[in-house]
Amino acid sequence: MKKQMLIILALIAAILAISACGGTPAAQPTQPPAQPTQPAAQAEGKLAQIRAAGKLIVGTSADYPPYESIDANGNFVGFDMDLIRAIGEKLGVEVEIRDMPFDSLIASLQEGKIDAVIAAMQATAERDEKVDFTIPYRMTKDAFIGAGDTTIVMTKPEDAAGLIIGVQTGTVQEGWVQKNLVATGLTPADKVFSYERADQAALDLASGRLQLVLMDAEPALELAKQNGLKVLLVTEKTAEGGKSIAIPEGASDLKAELDRIIQGLIDDGTVKALEEKYGLP
Amino acid sequence: MELLQDLLTTFNFIVQGLWVTVSVTAVALTVGLAIGLVMAVARVYGHPALQLAASAYSVVVRAAPVIVIIFILFFVISRYVNLPPFWAGALALGFASGAYQTEIFRGALQAVQPGQMIAARAIGMSRLQAIQSIVLPQALRLALPAWGNEATLVLKDSTLVFAVGVPEVLRRAQQVSARTFEPFLAFGVALLLYLALTLITTQALRWLERRYRLQI
Repeated sequence: MKKQMLIILALIAAILAISACGGTPAAQPTQPPAQPTQPAAQAEGKLAQIRAAGKLIVGTSADYPPYESIDANGNFVGFDMDLIRAIGEKLGVEVEIRDMPFDSLIASLQEGKIDAVIAAMQATAERDEKVDFTIPYRMTKDAFIGAGDTTIVMTKPEDAAGLIIGVQTGTVQEGWVQKNLVATGLTPADKVFSYERADQAALDLASGRLQLVLMDAEPALELAKQNGLKVLLVTEKTAEGGKSIAIPEGASDLKAELDRIIQGLIDDGTVKALEEKYGLP
Repeated sequence: MELLQDLLTTFNFIVQGLWVTVSVTAVALTVGLAIGLVMAVARVYGHPALQLAASAYSVVVRAAPVIVIIFILFFVISRYVNLPPFWAGALALGFASGAYQTEIFRGALQAVQPGQMIAARAIGMSRLQAIQSIVLPQALRLALPAWGNEATLVLKDSTLVFAVGVPEVLRRAQQVSARTFEPFLAFGVALLLYLALTLITTQALRWLERRYRLQI
């Protein structure tokens, strides 16, 4: 009885040992050598770690063209991908991109599995509690669209005053219209219509029930193309925030360096050139 | 013709994830087999403490969604042991499958007539010898059909390892779908690949069943 128990225990130990070894082989020469320290401690000197490894490991969710996707040859392509490679070049390290679900990105960053996240991500307050963000590399933009045969001309958001306008319920755009057009008396409240989805507003625009729709610029361009609508104005003034790179909480040296590089890429026109390359408004 | 071209490019892209799916499944089934056999023997013939440990493992792991086990292994355990995503995913899947396989083998062990054990002991075998050479081989034959079912389930659970960033067939289908806006084509190809893998697995196991069938 005792002997048999010992044998079974030995078997279990053997399996555990095998499982433990399973992790170490150099099957994927991707990760830097073991980092048994706590993630919080890793944040200190993150920049030096990355420089020492000669590699910046970046997580993304490659299903959001034109920001990030995978081409037919399996390469990461898109605005964010080009940008992070340009950043890697300035940083003097190789960039390794890993694809994972959007929901796993923050957790992977917190656990030190990746060094940064670039995924058209906005620095929301909830995310900011868990990780840190660089300065935005691209501001969110909104677009005013009108029917294909509209005669409205807009040069600034306030030109929408008095016109029948549609927005999506609960969005930043709806807030802007209420605050800047309705509350100021420029537009009567009964000329503002809120829709469940922005594409429903676009349909009403096409059928003539609305004169304008205010929404996120990127889907707006797509909708305008599909439904023969006219883009009247693309603006940052009605939008809030922008897309940032997420980095581990407390990695202040990395943040300072990335902020400096991003500002440099904005100033020297690299970001603008990439926006044009990918047809971003 | 254009559709054929699209189909071909889509297929060529997604099929590159086939090896990942196959190896994740193979590792998981092997790990699960080892765990399942040991745990089943522990549950049926082990010391009461071992029996308790084995049934606790089986109950807890079967109660948890596989995705939870994958997350725990990847995000918590690999904080101390540096597991690459592939191994974290495959081992977690194996750890989960082990619990189901425990139950498969337990049922099979219990289905072997008690007279077999008594006879083996009567001719002087130790308990361990009797388990190894008399009971277990008969139990394995009985376990085959249920094990084949588990194999097809693990194959499909292998889609879950993308949660930690392993690009298997389904993820590659998602990537194509995001790029081409043709979800039907992309997921259709994924469906065909899983169908082919399942057919191959079931055929192989049917062959095994025939090979080890009792000839009466």
